[in-house]
Amino acid sequence: MIEAEGVCLNYPDGTMALRNVDLHIEPGEMIYITGPSGSGKTSLLKLFIGIEFPTDGKLTVLGQPIIRGQASKIRQMRRSIGPVFQDFRLVNGRTAIENVMLGARFLDMSNKKLKENAVIALKKVGLEKKMFSMVEHLSWGQCQRVAIARAIVRKPRLIIADEPTGNLDKDNAINIMELFASLKEENTTVVITTHATHLINNLREGRLIHIESGIIHQERLD
Amino acid sequence: MRAALYIKKGWIDIVKTIMNNFGYFMKEARTIIKINFMSNILSIVSIGLILFFAAATLSSWWISNQVVEIIEDEAEINVYFAEDIDKKKVEHIINNIETLAGVEEVRLVDENEAYHRMEEILGKEAKVLQYLDDNPFSPYIEVQIDLKSMESVIEGLKNIEGIDQIRDNKEIFDKVRNLSSVLKTLGYIFIVAVGASTLIIISHIIRTGIYENREQINTLILLGAPDGFISFPFIIEGMILTLGGGLLASIILSLTLRYAYSVMTGPLPFIPLPDQKSMVTNLVSMIMLLSAVLGLLGSLFGLRSAKSR
Repeated sequence: MIEAEGVCLNYPDGTMALRNVDLHIEPGEMIYITGPSGSGKTSLLKLFIGIEFPTDGKLTVLGQPIIRGQASKIRQMRRSIGPVFQDFRLVNGRTAIENVMLGARFLDMSNKKLKENAVIALKKVGLEKKMFSMVEHLSWGQCQRVAIARAIVRKPRLIIADEPTGNLDKDNAINIMELFASLKEENTTVVITTHATHLINNLREGRLIHIESGIIHQERLD
Repeated sequence: MRAALYIKKGWIDIVKTIMNNFGYFMKEARTIIKINFMSNILSIVSIGLILFFAAATLSSWWISNQVVEIIEDEAEINVYFAEDIDKKKVEHIINNIETLAGVEEVRLVDENEAYHRMEEILGKEAKVLQYLDDNPFSPYIEVQIDLKSMESVIEGLKNIEGIDQIRDNKEIFDKVRNLSSVLKTLGYIFIVAVGASTLIIISHIIRTGIYENREQINTLILLGAPDGFISFPFIIEGMILTLGGGLLASIILSLTLRYAYSVMTGPLPFIPLPDQKSMVTNLVSMIMLLSAVLGLLGSLFGLRSAKSR
């Protein structure tokens, strides 16, 4: 699913975001990435989505090498990924359900099926009553859940979520974590960055990757 | 074979995506237009006026061209002779004219036929002839000729004895032909100018729309949306603007032509105008087709330049 060999990421201003990252992530795995702010968590996710490119080493996501000059192949790869961005990236002036549907409009799905799936996804994140609300009228926590629904409606092979519970209360955060954990049944790989270590401790499944100053340390939870 | 199948599948996928999302694309195009509503309305008006001027020039060329064609078909010279000569002498003149190269038909038009012909030309205005006591028209010889031989025929007629006066429509014909050629050139220049200015307007509007919607476009790119999916609402926007302009131009042109015909058919009944209905239909079809093509091209240019930027 994800293969990283000696991956380094240096930004043009000289910041070394990641150093010699070696990773092997299997289909259906649940990966939690933790670490202090500025440790390189988001940079690692950006590499997985193909927003950034390794400055050294080799990285392959869903069989696609993450290298410059393959923009259209990387874009095609992204169709199999359900991303949840830290800033949600929802489209204003559209309702929650329209935003969720936008995530899968260009995939091979009929409009009727897409609408059904969008309703199911919004129910899973507990937002069925807000599906026709404009996203700019929703709270941060609700927007975060719309972004999660947009990621899962695509039925992706890989979910990459940057702080998906950052704006949620405890109950909603637990629900979302359980929702991600349940995707294992569909063999979906989930990679999450989070500060909420207390939630991870409750789950007892998956792998914990701790990043500090761009260097990773791994441990199994189960 | 395999490559052909992939291409075929690619096209099927594109058509499927368009069919599944047509409502979404229309809604997105409407939203994009709403964001810059005033500039979009002004674009429609300017495109409409540009198309109207082009169509007006083309319709003038069309009318003058028709006049030239009719004059070409009816290229003739009228030959007048002294009224006191006898029939034998007139027949002799006719026989001499028939021997000239370039002459296709020669016939005598007597004073009664000349009177009736003027009645037909004047149409509703023919009642003025009733105020005349006598028939004022003289008999003459009508000579149908090949237009290219007009000058040599005129030279030949000057050498025939008994001819008083030769009246040809060469001067008028040359003037109309020159006017028609000027209008034709102007028409082509206008079409090129219309094409260029419409493409500039549309591509600028599309680029502005892309800039205004850059956040949404970036999100779609991150979600893996293909370029075609992202571009389609902008192509629809471009087409709506040019077709709107085309519609406006068509309305103004129809009204202008209706007015022009009512003015021209009154005092100038002898000008052979083309059928108004078919002319309006042809011009409107041409404007709408041109609008659609320019809308599509302008949007594609706008998208291309925004992408390269």
